[in-house]
Amino acid sequence: MLSGLLYPTSGEISVLGFEPSRRQSAYLRQITMVMGNRNQLQWDLPALDSYELLRAIYRLHPEDFRKTRDEFIELLDLGELVRKPVRNLSLGERMKVETAAALLHRPTVLFLDEPTIGLDVTMQKRIRSFVAEYNQRYGATVLLTSHYMADVQALCKRVIVIHHGRILFDGELSALATRFGAEKTIGVTLKEGTPDLSAYGEVVGSEDGKVSLKVSRADAPEVATRLLRDLPVADLTIEDPPIEDVIESVFADASAAVAAEAAEAAEATRAGAAR
Amino acid sequence: MSAETSIAGPRPTPSPAPPRLVHPIRGLFDVYVVEARIAIAQQIQYRAANYLYMLGMVAEPVIYLVVWSTVAQQQGGSVGGYTVGQLAAYYIVWTLVRNINIVFTPYGWEWRIRQGQLSAQLLRPLFPIVEDLGFFLGWKPVVILLWLPIAAFLALVFQPVLSPTPAAIGVFFLSLLGAYLIRSLNQTSVGLITFWTTRVGPVFELYIAAELLLSGRLVPLSLMPDWVQRLADVLPFRWTFGFPIEALVGNLSNEQLLRGLGMQLFWIVVGAIVVRVVWRFAIRRYSAVSG
Amino acid sequence: MGPFRLVRLFVRIGALNELQYRANFWLQLLESGIALGTGIAVLTLVFSQTPALNGWSQPELLAVMGVHTLMGGLIGAVIQPNMERLRTDIREGTFDFVLTKPEDVQVLSSVREIRIWRLVDVLVGAVVLGVAISLLETSVGPLEAVAFAVALVLGGLMIYCFWLILTTVAFWIVRIDEIHELFEGVYQSGRWPVTLYPEWLRVSLTFLVPIAFAVTVPAQALTSRLTPETLALAAVFATALMLGTRWFWRIGTRHYSGASA
Repeated sequence: MLSGLLYPTSGEISVLGFEPSRRQSAYLRQITMVMGNRNQLQWDLPALDSYELLRAIYRLHPEDFRKTRDEFIELLDLGELVRKPVRNLSLGERMKVETAAALLHRPTVLFLDEPTIGLDVTMQKRIRSFVAEYNQRYGATVLLTSHYMADVQALCKRVIVIHHGRILFDGELSALATRFGAEKTIGVTLKEGTPDLSAYGEVVGSEDGKVSLKVSRADAPEVATRLLRDLPVADLTIEDPPIEDVIESVFADASAAVAAEAAEAAEATRAGAAR
Repeated sequence: MSAETSIAGPRPTPSPAPPRLVHPIRGLFDVYVVEARIAIAQQIQYRAANYLYMLGMVAEPVIYLVVWSTVAQQQGGSVGGYTVGQLAAYYIVWTLVRNINIVFTPYGWEWRIRQGQLSAQLLRPLFPIVEDLGFFLGWKPVVILLWLPIAAFLALVFQPVLSPTPAAIGVFFLSLLGAYLIRSLNQTSVGLITFWTTRVGPVFELYIAAELLLSGRLVPLSLMPDWVQRLADVLPFRWTFGFPIEALVGNLSNEQLLRGLGMQLFWIVVGAIVVRVVWRFAIRRYSAVSG
Repeated sequence: MGPFRLVRLFVRIGALNELQYRANFWLQLLESGIALGTGIAVLTLVFSQTPALNGWSQPELLAVMGVHTLMGGLIGAVIQPNMERLRTDIREGTFDFVLTKPEDVQVLSSVREIRIWRLVDVLVGAVVLGVAISLLETSVGPLEAVAFAVALVLGGLMIYCFWLILTTVAFWIVRIDEIHELFEGVYQSGRWPVTLYPEWLRVSLTFLVPIAFAVTVPAQALTSRLTPETLALAAVFATALMLGTRWFWRIGTRHYSGASA
């Protein structure tokens, strides 16, 4: 809805001072959308030709356009790729070329919809760092949806978690883990022997001599100290829970809360009806 | 936490000025030029297919020409005011007009929506219709070049007879542009129906059927019964087919030529208004689906 | 499995698949209706100007139209889908799957696809034929009917051969998708008896693209114009074409280089 593609059924939205669904030219000029795995470039022709078309559509001054275009070609190492027909490029190469195309008109608001889906790890990093670079150079706002947590971690300072129309969290990514990640994982590798460590915490895994323990965030330092004191420890790691688990527990909590509320409401109705 | 930390660092420096824009008129011209280049570059890759399609299209007028020439010969040399030579001229010019009339079809809109291309286009500050108009108009010059040998061959075989005045020739070329625009706008309106239903086939087929009979595509309109001719006068079809051909072949008076151009202008305006109105509703209807 | 059992099997499978596409039925009905409508409109226009065209009366031309529609339905339902599938298989290398089946490859590639809804045209054509025959001045006796049936079968086989030869070329030149556009255009010429056309066109439409044998000759049978010589020529030409096509087909499959191409 923020991009103006969907009409809201109720409520108000404002982006850059515009109402997106009115789709004014001045608004569209300042935004862009990058959708993973989708093409907007001409399939049979080199990307350079499609870039020319975008220049014409956005009415960009030829000189400014060429400067921006060449800058992107260098940043993403596209020199060879933009001369080949788009259909001859691999998925990763195509994404690079498409992402560059989306930013040629120097928008100030970027909507990224699963931009790294289906790409290999190197390419994912490439795209991420390009977006981050663009964000720094041109001061653009980036709205990202992705189910790759690595995207979120690499690019997002501020995270908003929305569930069923309610904002569950709005703040820094690190704070998210602190508030919702109630537990830490301690990995212990002993120099010798494999004693039972269940006294120290919940044993969740034991592999190749490395035992993983789940302990509450508050107890973690104390448990670690005890382990180091009591046992011949060869290696000890303390890790935050993976961000996926954190998000999962956020939604689980929210669903539980919603369910609890619903149950309460049902209870009250039944009680009311029974009277 | 993974080893990778956030790259977005401290508050970014103030952004450089937004890019400079060119004048809107210059912008439209640019769009046309680039679309034309893209259209030509792309269609040249499919030149074999395009030529075969063009050749296949020649069958239709040749058949009608033979039939009506036979009728004319049996009736003492002419039928409906057309001699055999004039019939030949009619149907050969027909092939050119038919090619000029190739526009973005409703089936194209079906494909476009199914593929999801439309989302990307809707996020850009230009109506897709403008792009389509530029694209199809853009490679007409190449179409005309490809058509010339076919026309030469047909002229050799069927011996057309025509003697247009310079005014008529001028009006003819103008009318080609008019025909193209009217047909593009009308077919776009029909194509926008795809926003409401996934199958536009039936409506489009009916449109084509009406066009066949009422435009002069099947047979010169003067051969049709009076009531059909009167109907054809109030519908746009005639001005996409019959009029351009008649302008060159039919020895029309200057008055008639001007009136024809005026009617074309009228239908262009009507077509544009309809498209604009339907588009507004179509956009509301459209829901973008990601992935 | 003999070729006839094979055909029956594929018709059943094809029918089960296609009946799901009911929308196609209605669209086809509409298209056939429009084609019929415009055809009759032209006929009426022609006969408002002249009592007979090249010696053919109005009911006789209606009969030609009927045969044309009927044959068009058969081509679209049975011949074209198989040829298109064959072209795709050759281009994408899935022809390998056909080659490894125990049935005769030519028969298999020719009967496995069917577009049921195109048979609407066969129905429409038959109806038009019925109407035309009832309006004819000359009567259609058993001799004419048999000659008609024979001519129809021969014509159909020749069209099949033509299509197969054209598709066999795909073994060498892989990209010939647009041929069927060309055929659609040329086939329209069959709406009228080929005797109407100038000499060079008539010959092409007889021996190059056998539309004359597919449409005009059966129509001639119905309208008592068919000479035994023409029927004999049809039989000879059909046989020669079948043999030639089979030979050409064999060369093509041998040349086929498989998915690695």
